Amino acid sequence: MANKVTLDTAGNMWKVLVAEGDSVKKGDVLFIMEIMKMEVPYEAPADGKITAIHIAEGDADLEEDMVALEIE
Amino acid sequence: MSWEKEVIELANKRELAQEQGGVENVARQHSKGLLTIRERIDAILDNGSFQELGGTSGDVTRDDEGNLVDFKPANFILGFGKIGERRCVVAGEDFTLGGGSPNAAGLRKSVYTEELAYNYRVPLVRLHQGAGGSVAGAGGSAAAKPKTVGAPVNHAPRFKSVAQAMASVPVASAALGPVAGLPAARLVASHFSVMTQNSQILVAGPAVVGRALDNEITKENLGGPSVHAKNGTVDNLVEDEASAFEEIRKFLSYLPPNVWELPPVISSIDPSDRRAEELLSIVPRDRRKIYDMRQVIDLVLDDGSFFEMGKLYGRGTITGLARLNGQPVGVLSNDSRHLAGSMTDAGSRKARRFIELCDTFHLPIVSLLDEPGFMIGAAAEKASTIRFGTAAVIAAATSVVPWATVIIRKAHGVAEAAHFGPDGFVVAWPSAEIGAIPVEGGVAAAFSRQIAAAEDPEAERERLEEAMLHLQSVVPRAESFSMHDLIDPRDTRPTLCDWIDRVQPLLEQLKGPTSFPLRP
Repeated sequence: MANKVTLDTAGNMWKVLVAEGDSVKKGDVLFIMEIMKMEVPYEAPADGKITAIHIAEGDADLEEDMVALEIE
Repeated sequence: MSWEKEVIELANKRELAQEQGGVENVARQHSKGLLTIRERIDAILDNGSFQELGGTSGDVTRDDEGNLVDFKPANFILGFGKIGERRCVVAGEDFTLGGGSPNAAGLRKSVYTEELAYNYRVPLVRLHQGAGGSVAGAGGSAAAKPKTVGAPVNHAPRFKSVAQAMASVPVASAALGPVAGLPAARLVASHFSVMTQNSQILVAGPAVVGRALDNEITKENLGGPSVHAKNGTVDNLVEDEASAFEEIRKFLSYLPPNVWELPPVISSIDPSDRRAEELLSIVPRDRRKIYDMRQVIDLVLDDGSFFEMGKLYGRGTITGLARLNGQPVGVLSNDSRHLAGSMTDAGSRKARRFIELCDTFHLPIVSLLDEPGFMIGAAAEKASTIRFGTAAVIAAATSVVPWATVIIRKAHGVAEAAHFGPDGFVVAWPSAEIGAIPVEGGVAAAFSRQIAAAEDPEAERERLEEAMLHLQSVVPRAESFSMHDLIDPRDTRPTLCDWIDRVQPLLEQLKGPTSFPLRP
């Protein structure tokens, strides 16, 4: 069952810290958005492997609720 | 010769009324994962406390001897009960009979609900699942044609009693299935409303929408949680009916039974001198880093007492109820994770409604401030942020309850004024940044030419931001008695507990209705 990490808000992708195939632990920071000059980190909801990434550093105006990446 | 025959018929009716819409319809309700209204009332009230009114009202059919042949109970259930050992009125549609679209007796009970609550000065709980009036009239096309149609011209507006209830007693409501038309209006005419994952809120359902707008859309897409949990229609979204009842019970526990009394103070086991070490470093020194304001709330207010309202919309703003030394208070704050805590149009509506709730029920307000200002940009302008935002500011400026504001980080813009009450108690943390506008935006606006003309524009921008930031320091403001004090963050709870002790005696004079009628 893939865990889908979705964006809480619209905004820009500042840093992407993982790549497809990486193993992550619950709580690891996966990517950081920049919104209103603040860094908004997104953490892994569970242990697993990154099976898909739909975002890239520098992406602008990403939509709220889009699936950013998937962890299995 | 006694009245036994009549009493037996009464007992029959009462028994038949328990069947609601009949075995098949009840089974259909259950198969959708939904409870019947009688089960809901049982679940939300203290055990065995339900005192039904009008339990034998309904449509009867009699044979030529006058014996009862058929009985359809009123499809709205109403009565008194207890929640947390306090009396309340509880009511709701019986969806198993006619889809909750009111029959004649059901309609009478339904519109009487609010009057009952404010006449007895007790909280009102409405459990909704039902549609509004049918085109065929109450009682459907089978009803005999009445001699007069329409209500008398001097009939009071139906919603006047709804407004009076909101001005007098706590009103809490739940959407537990599809809620359309009149029930949907009653749902939102409340101080606290909750919807379940399985519910929908609609002005009108797919059949009506399809006919008027020529498009097809399911009731879930039209008015399910994906729509109404995030736009301020209801305060909270819960998983299931049991959670809805729990939240309503919890909400009521912070409020008095009516506006003529004060919120119930309980004895607190959380010491007023608790100084949490985490508070000293919870705000990052790096101004770009966010932190969890809800953790600050938990560390400062009575342990476990925070009940958030409206978490899913206007997310830069946080509102909720809590206790300070056992005294119920309102909490207004910001979440830097969402748009740096900026107050959007939705956040403004949430804040205004919340301040008015606190004013209505005499809840002192604790404001933990980290506000960069109203949301900016094209979408925010389209949403008329300044109009809704200014309403929130005016609500704060005219608030009648005591306020305490702790400036935690940002305090900027017109929006910051929504976080201070008149004659409020004001303290700040060393991390506070106070000024007309956050430095990033302020420098971009005031020094654009100077930056563009510089040899190294980025370096010049940084230098200017640093300089302007220095002007926003809280220290000189504290030295100038621009606030009551600059405090060690770890002293926040003791400071606020001292404040609540000072203001408690002032609440007495607030008893009674507010000067403005509360509007949904």
